[in-house]
Amino acid sequence: MKFKIKKNDVLDVLSKIQGLTGRKSNLPITSNVFLQTTNYGIVLRVTDLETGYEGLYSGTVESEGAVVINARKFYEIIREFPSDEIQIDKIENHWIKIANNNVEYNIVGMNPEDFPESPHVDDIEFFEIDSIEFKKMIDKMVIIMGASDEKRAHISGLYFEIIKQDDQNLVRMVSTDGNRLAKVDYIYSKDSELPSGPGILIPKKGLQEVVKFLDFEGVVQVGFKNNNFIIKKDSETIIIRLLEGEFPEYHDIIKKDDANDINMDRQLFLMMLKRMSILSSEEYRGVIFSFKEDNLIITTTNPNIGESKEEMHIEYQGKPIKVMFNPRYFIETLNVIDEEKVKLNIIDEEKPCLIQGEKNDRYLSVIMPMRI
Amino acid sequence: MILHIDMDAFYASVEQLDNPRLKGECVIVGGLSNRSVVSAASYEARKFGVHSAMPMFQARQKCPRGIIIRPRMDRYKSVSKKIMSLLREFSPRVEVVSIDEAYVDITGCSRLHGEPHEIVAHIKQKIKETVNLTCSVGVGPSKFIAKIASDLEKPDGLTIFMPEQVSQFLEKLPVGKVPGVGKTTLKQLERMGINTLGDVSKYPEKSLLKRLGKFGRRLMELSAGMDDSPVMPISRRKSVSSEETLLSDIDDKKVLNNYILEQAESVARQLRKEGVKAKTVTLKIKHADFKQVTRSTTLPVPTQSSETIYQTASRLLDQYRMKTKIRLIGVGASGLRTDSAPTQMSLFKDLKSNNGNWEKVDKTVDSITAKYGKDIIKRGSLTKSSHELE
Repeated sequence: MKFKIKKNDVLDVLSKIQGLTGRKSNLPITSNVFLQTTNYGIVLRVTDLETGYEGLYSGTVESEGAVVINARKFYEIIREFPSDEIQIDKIENHWIKIANNNVEYNIVGMNPEDFPESPHVDDIEFFEIDSIEFKKMIDKMVIIMGASDEKRAHISGLYFEIIKQDDQNLVRMVSTDGNRLAKVDYIYSKDSELPSGPGILIPKKGLQEVVKFLDFEGVVQVGFKNNNFIIKKDSETIIIRLLEGEFPEYHDIIKKDDANDINMDRQLFLMMLKRMSILSSEEYRGVIFSFKEDNLIITTTNPNIGESKEEMHIEYQGKPIKVMFNPRYFIETLNVIDEEKVKLNIIDEEKPCLIQGEKNDRYLSVIMPMRI
Repeated sequence: MILHIDMDAFYASVEQLDNPRLKGECVIVGGLSNRSVVSAASYEARKFGVHSAMPMFQARQKCPRGIIIRPRMDRYKSVSKKIMSLLREFSPRVEVVSIDEAYVDITGCSRLHGEPHEIVAHIKQKIKETVNLTCSVGVGPSKFIAKIASDLEKPDGLTIFMPEQVSQFLEKLPVGKVPGVGKTTLKQLERMGINTLGDVSKYPEKSLLKRLGKFGRRLMELSAGMDDSPVMPISRRKSVSSEETLLSDIDDKKVLNNYILEQAESVARQLRKEGVKAKTVTLKIKHADFKQVTRSTTLPVPTQSSETIYQTASRLLDQYRMKTKIRLIGVGASGLRTDSAPTQMSLFKDLKSNNGNWEKVDKTVDSITAKYGKDIIKRGSLTKSSHELE
């Protein structure tokens, strides 16, 4: 096998796939890139056995074949390569020569036949979604991650469902770690064509990798079939194997009572919480929120360090509530809301607190208090 | 001034006390099998070179006429409790270091109880009267000095260092006597030409810190007689564990799992007794070749439930690839916090209910155990017959 590629054609993708090839899997070969010549160009494939990426890149093929090469080293060699045109040759025993006129690398490769096949999924009912919006949605969801635990698919996975309502259709993502939950919707018009079916659980780890490929203006094709979630754009495809498991009933959790809405300045609230969390530690991470008439007092006590207290004027007419939260959950939520004002909706010290932007209710986050 | 009180050959002395026929005999407390180690040896046995932590077969060789007795921890604990409460009559600042060791801060007690030597005499007399045991006491301006002093004269000794005597004493103190200096550090220090604390103070500070890191700083301070670690009346436990040397080396995970179940229950019971919850569960394994490994999991929610600790430890065992047989297995819990500390509530009630039931089981078992003893109620798989299947 022999072909030529241009540095600028592959450098970007080689950097983006490092996350996938850097993952530990049961097969050592997954830290490698698979490269194969075709009539249309060079196919590049990587996988961590759960999430797989495949892309087609232009190149000049002199003779057909496939190689498997360590992804990290291949990336570093290409990145530092002095010329734009790079020649890649397969020599004996899976050795690979990477060269131009002056530079020559000979690298140990692996047997291409041992590289895991990517799942074949045909006849997928794709639908379109705006790339940047899709990225923002995933970003909002993957901040909520729990310790990876095979037993709790609803925590390592993001719940993805298509909801058809009377006036509109929507794609919804829901993410939880057991203590908090967030949902975000993408709205389609009523006459849009979306597939039907039950919700699916997509591993958040895989989606974190997907995000890297969504940084462009335009749309991507999304679909799911036979336990696979597929994202496609031109000549690039990502396939993620779905998780098996149930997602807990969440609709009651995100239902709110408008009477208790409290409007707040997002930035001021965020700064206040950051100041509060200076004193929190592994053992003492709770912060007490005391809601009184038109007034919020936040206090924190860490017997090993000290205390802090802060007051804020709010518009609140409900009954006094004293409730403890992990401030980190609020900080992370406020960081992904892109509005100036936010609404808190709080019922009592036993029930979750709802947070969303003042105007936009597509995104909503729910945080469970701590028991004092 | 601070006292360090160290009971003389504590376990062995209690045995001699409870069984007068053992008086004057070589008493060795520890497991009966050759695979166990010595927990304590009476002074008679020590003359033959038997000391604690020595493998039992070696102790038997050194002292063939030694009488080996299985430890009775409950009895030692109750004696220890009496001693500690007696110490608290002299000063509220008593730090219990272990079952047979404590620091007492007697600063400001002289008007009430007299000079240090008077106080010590009084304490020794009280202990003798109450539990009929002897102890060795060290007195010094810091915990460090007191600890070393108590070791100088044993048994029934008393060594007092007044502040003005300290620097002269430290100058000649072999570094091996300093708490925290083990075999490895000692060798390293010897290679550096450091034999006494006096040598430490003369050693260039920079290269000492470079070679020993934090501990180098500590040694520097100690060599200058500086030790301001306070006597901490309530010593909060950092971890709870239970481990056992197996009767024979095994690699059958089913049998090992039974040990883990028993140990998880014991660990969880201790956690509940102390009113704490653990964030981390650790599985400890010692192989037949004495190679030791630990595997830990950090839990999403701190626990004190027998079932959770068992499940977690059992999963760690399941995931562990055993290449050689196992000689010792143990379960530990760390990252402790009081169970009254605020806990994060869970969003989904249904996922919690299971744990709630186990909590009830634990509570019930605890109260039955408290009333009728440890062996009256246990898991079906831990009954004698199933254990003997090994």
